[in-house]
Amino acid sequence: MTESRIRYAVLAALLLALAAVPYVSGKFFVYLTMRVMLLGIFAVGFNLLLGQTGLLSFGHGAFYAAGAYGLGLFGAYVTPNPLLGVAVGIAAAAVVALLVGYLCVRHTEIYFAMLTLACGMMVFSFVWNARSITGGDDGFIGIMRAPVTLFGGLRLPIGKDSQFYYFVLAFFVLAVWVAHRIRISPFGLVLSGIRENARRTEYAGIPVRKYRLSVFVVSGAFAGLAGALEALLESNARPFMAHWTHSAEPVLVSLLGGLSSLFGPIVGGAFFIAMREIIQRYTENWMLGFGVVLLVVIMAFRGGIMGAVENLFGRRSAGAGR
Amino acid sequence: MGETLLTTRKLSNHFGMVCTARELSLSFEKGVVTSIIGPNGAGKSTLINLLTGHLPVQSGRIDFLGREITRMPIHRRVRMGICRSFQVVNVFPGLTVEENVMIPVLSRSMRAWRPITRVSRDAAGREEAEALLEKVGLSGVRGTPASSLSHGDLRLLEVGVALAAAPTLLFLDEPTAGMNPVERERLLGNVRTLSREGKTTFVLVEHDMDVVFSLSERILVLHRGELLCDGTPEAVRSDAKVREVYLGEDVSDLFRYTRTEAE
Repeated sequence: MTESRIRYAVLAALLLALAAVPYVSGKFFVYLTMRVMLLGIFAVGFNLLLGQTGLLSFGHGAFYAAGAYGLGLFGAYVTPNPLLGVAVGIAAAAVVALLVGYLCVRHTEIYFAMLTLACGMMVFSFVWNARSITGGDDGFIGIMRAPVTLFGGLRLPIGKDSQFYYFVLAFFVLAVWVAHRIRISPFGLVLSGIRENARRTEYAGIPVRKYRLSVFVVSGAFAGLAGALEALLESNARPFMAHWTHSAEPVLVSLLGGLSSLFGPIVGGAFFIAMREIIQRYTENWMLGFGVVLLVVIMAFRGGIMGAVENLFGRRSAGAGR
Repeated sequence: MGETLLTTRKLSNHFGMVCTARELSLSFEKGVVTSIIGPNGAGKSTLINLLTGHLPVQSGRIDFLGREITRMPIHRRVRMGICRSFQVVNVFPGLTVEENVMIPVLSRSMRAWRPITRVSRDAAGREEAEALLEKVGLSGVRGTPASSLSHGDLRLLEVGVALAAAPTLLFLDEPTAGMNPVERERLLGNVRTLSREGKTTFVLVEHDMDVVFSLSERILVLHRGELLCDGTPEAVRSDAKVREVYLGEDVSDLFRYTRTEAE
């Protein structure tokens, strides 16, 4: 019991610290923290696919973009209500993920990765070329942050970054909680079974392909949520959200933070963004410096940063699905 | 004669020029413990692979409980009640022993689809898993990752995972290979009890003739993909063709058993 109490206390403290950020720090740090949370949502969902199910996708940028453009288009043509916009963004991402996933989940490993890469780049070139809908290479600009209306009457403005921060924080907490519950659920256990031994999972009576498709759509929905929030944050949606270089980000941060834990990808994401900010002050070629760091972490620490931390405290890895 | 569970008609399979199943027409009755024997390369594993959906059927037909299943995917056959264990241990190495058996237990109901409830709070499922682990003798290591089990325990888990699917017809591919005598006795005892309970019908591929003759009520002898002999242990033992095929192969095993039996 004590261990779970310590865990709750740590989580509560972290949450308080996150909630206090707009009060105690400057605008830039608030902005960076929001970027960390967005990447965290993206990567936590992505890791349900990579860490839990053992499927490596290089096309999740497409779903991120679907979320961003879904919110943007809905806001421009229907209503700028941000909650509805986020819901539409998630739905758009899930639909695109369903189509892409349907084509891809019949394959695994490198074939799966290459198919998702190809599908992602198809989405990218569609966004790039469909100028009349998406704004082409200019991006879809002028996305507004209208106030959130709750329970009919209550209006919460989110125009300022310090206000919008709590909008992002709420979705971040929700996304992490959902991912946590999926990991310890029967569905999550079956997913780890598929990762460990797909053939045997079939002999347990599980329709493996359907499960793969389901988790693909779920992780696509997480990407859509992150994309929709970024569209609100930056007031635009850009075609490069769908580019494969963006799809590689959750792969990198999951590896960096650790595949087998819930918080690994988030820690990896925070590290990734902090590194980028720091290295960029000294050199434009920040990827060079980041590459070296990534190399060291992957070669020196098995299980990423979280794996190293867990080893440090002498605790056995909590493992997937527990 | 009990109710017929599974029948095959003219089931054939070739790997290139090698014929591993030649027009096999068989049937398996409820409650009859059957062993499939034959020299190496006789097509024993191929037969199991065809019946469970591991290999696509090239020609012929399979029926299970009155339904054609020739091209049915693996997981749907398992849902209908056909399961198997593997010759080479084939479990979920990174998961605990309990989680290994929980997957088939959960999949039998639609509970496996639940994304938000906790596995640890699924009392009915855990109870069932616990009962099963008790039965196969692994409840002491329920929290151990399968990858750190001893070889014998892994073999028990291999059969446990197959049993957890609560199959009507269960194929065990060399279940006792590499087990020590205690583990072997435990496993065979399980097969006997479960078979007597009548929910599961067992079909074994075995090399150990002691196991084959002490357990089986019916023996199928395969040779180069053909059915050489099909009958009671006594009938098989006295079959001239069987002796011929086994001559120079497992002859010592087969005859040693016959001799000790006679004494």
